[in-house]
Order: sequence, then structure tokens, then C-alpha cells
Amino acid sequence: MEIPDLLLPELLAPLISETIFAGKLHHALSVGSTNAVALEAGAAGHPEGSVFLAEEQTSGRGRGGHTWYSAPSQGIYCSVLLRPQLPPDHVLLLSLAAGLAVRSAVADVTGLHADLKWPNDLLFNAAKFCGILTELQWDGARVRHAVVGIGLNVNYTSFPDTLGKEATSLRLESAKTQSRLQVAAALLKSLDREYWALVADSGAQESILRRFQEHSSWTSGCAVRVEETDSFTGVTEGLNAQGFLLVRTPQGLRTVVSGTVRRRAGTQE
Amino acid sequence: MNLKEIRELIEFLKEQDIAEFELERGDVKVRVKRGVEPVVAAEMRYVAMPSASAAPALGDVSAPPPAAASVVTAPPAKAADPEEGLHMVKSPIVGTFYESPSPGAPPFVKPGDKVTLGQVICIVEAMKLMNEIESDAAGEIVKMLVDNNQPIEYGQALYAIRPSI
Repeated sequence: MEIPDLLLPELLAPLISETIFAGKLHHALSVGSTNAVALEAGAAGHPEGSVFLAEEQTSGRGRGGHTWYSAPSQGIYCSVLLRPQLPPDHVLLLSLAAGLAVRSAVADVTGLHADLKWPNDLLFNAAKFCGILTELQWDGARVRHAVVGIGLNVNYTSFPDTLGKEATSLRLESAKTQSRLQVAAALLKSLDREYWALVADSGAQESILRRFQEHSSWTSGCAVRVEETDSFTGVTEGLNAQGFLLVRTPQGLRTVVSGTVRRRAGTQE
Repeated sequence: MNLKEIRELIEFLKEQDIAEFELERGDVKVRVKRGVEPVVAAEMRYVAMPSASAAPALGDVSAPPPAAASVVTAPPAKAADPEEGLHMVKSPIVGTFYESPSPGAPPFVKPGDKVTLGQVICIVEAMKLMNEIESDAAGEIVKMLVDNNQPIEYGQALYAIRPSI
């Protein structure tokens, strides 16, 4: 029988002692959604850097009312509470920065280089292994707190039929079991690095945009279908200064602010 | 007036959406002029004129804090249409407007609903960042000024509220 690889604060704490998250780890065996827990904690005044980890989520949240499949101890289900004092358009870059942080952590631990799909899904080939949902509460024009929720498939060997070929895991890609503890520690360290750069460094914006485009096969020259307010097709043409995706359509250049981007059928899958 | 008070003053001006503000107290003169869009492009000039009475040093928290009190007496330039007395709740960011927590769910609020200060009334999404927008006034929702799923800009008015007195 395998020894359970639990994300216990006692084990994780020594690995992240230099980060904003030190001394602020919270762990649960099962919760509805780590984002919901973190948002409540934010409203209740928990400090910036509080981390909420769960072995299992019974109603993990995704975008647009989707759920995140969260089988017990097979993935990392983690939400961090931040209070970024940033201008609104820099706050949006948290979304891209979080994706870069996950990519870097995965590369550190597994040697695998993931593809970033705008705005922050992480893929191997066309299959997704990590999703990030950020929820913010505003006080007028100022962010009261932000919760970055990360669901990362670590040791899954199979998925529900509904996900099928659209999902993968670090274990499936690397053909070996990965230590969730090591991945979680690397993740918190890289999140710490990206976050401080974003809040402290005026050049972080350019760096985030540049690195994202370097590590994404989606942002330039990719034939896509976009489901936003309406549905349209075009070819991607990079990110603008705010991090929004530019898509060249027959009617002109469109700026994608939210919504889902898919490769068009018949193009590279 | 110290740096902390100036920061608080600017926060206050931002919250009240006051574009221009001038304060002169003895030997300290503060003038704040803000770009309207985006709100972060705030410009500040701090002119401390030294004199025999010596203005309090920056960071001196023991300095008398009358600034906030005098600011409160400034005309309330709330983002409202004075003719109708309606208050506009504006979006702090660019994104896509959602009237409900998830597709198909009932809207957070609808015209006729009473809302309290700080109540979440909609979500604006940009790049998978879900921004919960709160009402910055208590009162009654008179009108939703945008359509569900509509793209919106920085500072765009989302709801008109008749403030309760």
C-alpha cells in the first residue's frame, strides 16, 4: 500500500519558509471549494498570504459555473489570499502571472514544459492538467482581496468520461508518480516570486507579457474560435499591454477580454 | 500633513470620484488633480512651503490630522446625476458584465430591489478573473444600465441606484 502523500502544513511549512505564505497554511481533508473558503477568510480579515489546501473538493469551481473535478489526494487544490495594492490593469496580470508560476513549478519538479493557453490554462499537447480561477472583491476602485485558486492534476491515471481526452496529469505525462508535496512547495515558491515581482517591480508587466507569449503556442498565428459575448473565428496576433488576446478576424482586429479560446477544427490539435 | 494622510486623502478623492481638489492650511498646500479614466492615472503635487512654524515632517504620525475632517466638508461630487439624484455604481475594471453568479442562475439584483452598502450586485470578468462588484451606496436599484454578457469599460456605469436617506 502506498503511503498517502498528504499536503500537511507540518510537511509543507519547512519548504516554503521564505515566502509570503510561511506560517499561513491551512489544510482540510475535504471542502466544497477552496476558493469559497479563502474568500470567506478574506472577508473575515485573514492576512495576505493565507493558503487554503484541501485533499478533496466536493464542488471545486471553474469558470462560468463549471466544476473542477477534484478526486481525493490526486491533485493539488489550493487557493491563496492576496491583497494586491495595484492599479486595476495591473491587477488583471495576476491571471497571467499565476499561469506562469504554475508552469515554472511544474518544470522545476518534473522537467516537463507546459503550454500556456490564454488566459491561464496549462496544457500538454491539447490536454489540460491545470486550471486557475481568480476571484476578487473590490472596495470601490481598490482591490479588497484576491483569491487565486489553482486545481492541478498531479497523480490522476484516469478521468471521468466527460473529460476524456481533454484532461491529463503530471503522472500521465511523466510516466511516474509525482510528489504532491514537492509540486505544492514549488508552486507556492514560484507564486511568491511572481507576486512580489508584480507588486514591487514596475517592469513586471512587460516581463509577464513577454514570458507568457514565449511559453504559449496560442497567442500568435493560431487559428481559433472564440466564445465570448458572441462567437467568432480568427487568427491570434499576440497580447496587448493589458494582457488581452488580439485576434485578427475578417472584420478586423478584435480584443478578447474574457471567454473561451479553442483551436479551430482542422488546425493543429 | 504627513504622507499617510495624503495617501488617505487621495484614496478618499478616488472613492468619491472627485477630479480636482485643493487644500491650503497655513504653510501646507496640497493640490490633487486626477485623470478621470483610468482612475489610477492620479497626479499629485505636494507643495510644502517651509516657514518658521515648520510643517510636520513626512511620516510624523503625531501630527494633528485635520486634513480628513476638512476634506469631508468638500462638496459631494459623487458619481450621480444631480437632476435625478441617482447614484451610479461604476466598474473599476474593463471586462464582461455578468448579472448572476453563474450562467442560468438568478441575477444578484434586479430593478426594485433594495441593496445595502457593500452588497455584491454583479460580476465583471476579465481573463478568468471574476471581479465581484459591490454597491457603494445603500438604496434601491432603479435601472441596470448594461446588458448581461456585455463588454464594459473602466469606469462604466453599471447600475443606477436611488440612495436611501
